[in-house]
Amino acid sequence: MKTASDKPNEIVIDTRGQVCPSTLLVTLQNLNLHKNALKEGRTILRIMTDHRHSTATIPNAVRNMGYEVVVNKQKGYYEIIVGLSIPSPEQS
Amino acid sequence: MHIGPTTLILTISMTIGVIAGFVMHRSDYCVTGMFRDAIMFHHTFMLRALLLQIVITMILFEILRQTGTLPFYPFPLLGKPSLANIMGGVVFGIGMVLAGGCVVGTLYKMGAGSVTSFFAFLGLIFGSGLYPEIHPQWANIVKTTSISEAITLPQLLAINPLVMVVAVAIPAIILFSRWHRQQLWGKEAVVAGYLQPWKAACILTLLGAVSYILLGMPLGISTTYTKIAAITETLIIPEHAESLAYFKGVPLNIYNQLLNTPLHGGAGPAIDSLWDIQFPLIIGITIGSTFSAMLLGEFSVRYKVPGKQILTAFLGGTIMGFGARMSSGCNIWHLMGGIPIFAISSLLFVIGLSVGTWIGAKILFRILTGQHNCSCR
Repeated sequence: MKTASDKPNEIVIDTRGQVCPSTLLVTLQNLNLHKNALKEGRTILRIMTDHRHSTATIPNAVRNMGYEVVVNKQKGYYEIIVGLSIPSPEQS
Repeated sequence: MHIGPTTLILTISMTIGVIAGFVMHRSDYCVTGMFRDAIMFHHTFMLRALLLQIVITMILFEILRQTGTLPFYPFPLLGKPSLANIMGGVVFGIGMVLAGGCVVGTLYKMGAGSVTSFFAFLGLIFGSGLYPEIHPQWANIVKTTSISEAITLPQLLAINPLVMVVAVAIPAIILFSRWHRQQLWGKEAVVAGYLQPWKAACILTLLGAVSYILLGMPLGISTTYTKIAAITETLIIPEHAESLAYFKGVPLNIYNQLLNTPLHGGAGPAIDSLWDIQFPLIIGITIGSTFSAMLLGEFSVRYKVPGKQILTAFLGGTIMGFGARMSSGCNIWHLMGGIPIFAISSLLFVIGLSVGTWIGAKILFRILTGQHNCSCR
């Protein structure tokens, strides 16, 4: 986890290889659990998934809750970042 | 060069399988997900594509029937309706949700590298092999809960299938065009190489029709899971395999005019026509999906999965395989073949499937989140 003061703390959710709909369920669970920190911009969620469908369902769900969302294609999986405001893209 | 009918059948099935696997991976055409997400999250986007597929299959099959292109009507292996179909559907529905994919979804996910789906696949074979142990008892239940001698609804009502097709197609087309005006058919996709599900629905409809015309029946694969179990049993415990009545039945017994060859087959260990038709589909769907995933650089095998999920997928596969035999066919067979010709057994299966999906979703929610109340919306 990165804890640099200028960047929000991040919560990493890795559901790669897991059974459907694990990605969406665990994401929604974390959104609920860290609601205050997320709403105050103190943290973001970084979700790693190989479930293609989640790249559509998660952005849909979180945009309705007022969050920003970015999806990046990585090697062999997708990374979905959710937060109040998402920091500039990082090189990985 | 002379190409024998067996080679032709293997080639046709393999081609259909590879295309289907590729297409399903691209649009994530997961029938389990369609039912499950509609119930769990009220997401109906994917279910719309399935409805489209069922309706256009229905229209296409009727056109083919009217033009005399269908070799059989109804197609072979469709059983008489019985309340047992509902029970089979319930069991199948629970299993497919726990497995994270149906008999076909499991294959395309496994093809893309999913370890959980691989275990669901093993479960499917195991469950399909368990069923023959109780087949005599279950066959009795099927017989006593039988509700009609008619296979399809038009047969039961003694009306021309065309009447029923028109009665369903007109409101469906009105509904579809309304969805079109509301722009509900497509979605913006960030995922690489995405194929809109309505396109996948059209391609799968054509594949089903090709299979029906050339091989005599629409897509189906689940009997071959039992056959794989039968072959395995014959190798390990031959005396026991020999004693099972279910392995002796030969329900497929037709003459394929087009390929000029008889087609015989059943669930037993013999390499017969059912094997020639279905086994290449299993292999084809898997490698079609592998091919698609590799082209996108998305093929990856991840072993670091919670053991609980692996076990759930295996058990889900087992329950699903068992349920498919209880209702003489899987969801693909009933939804994409039986429903379009109004097979009563398929309609009953889908009622059960919906209930089973609901039960399965409750159980899976508990397993994945550790919570009891489904507050997932």
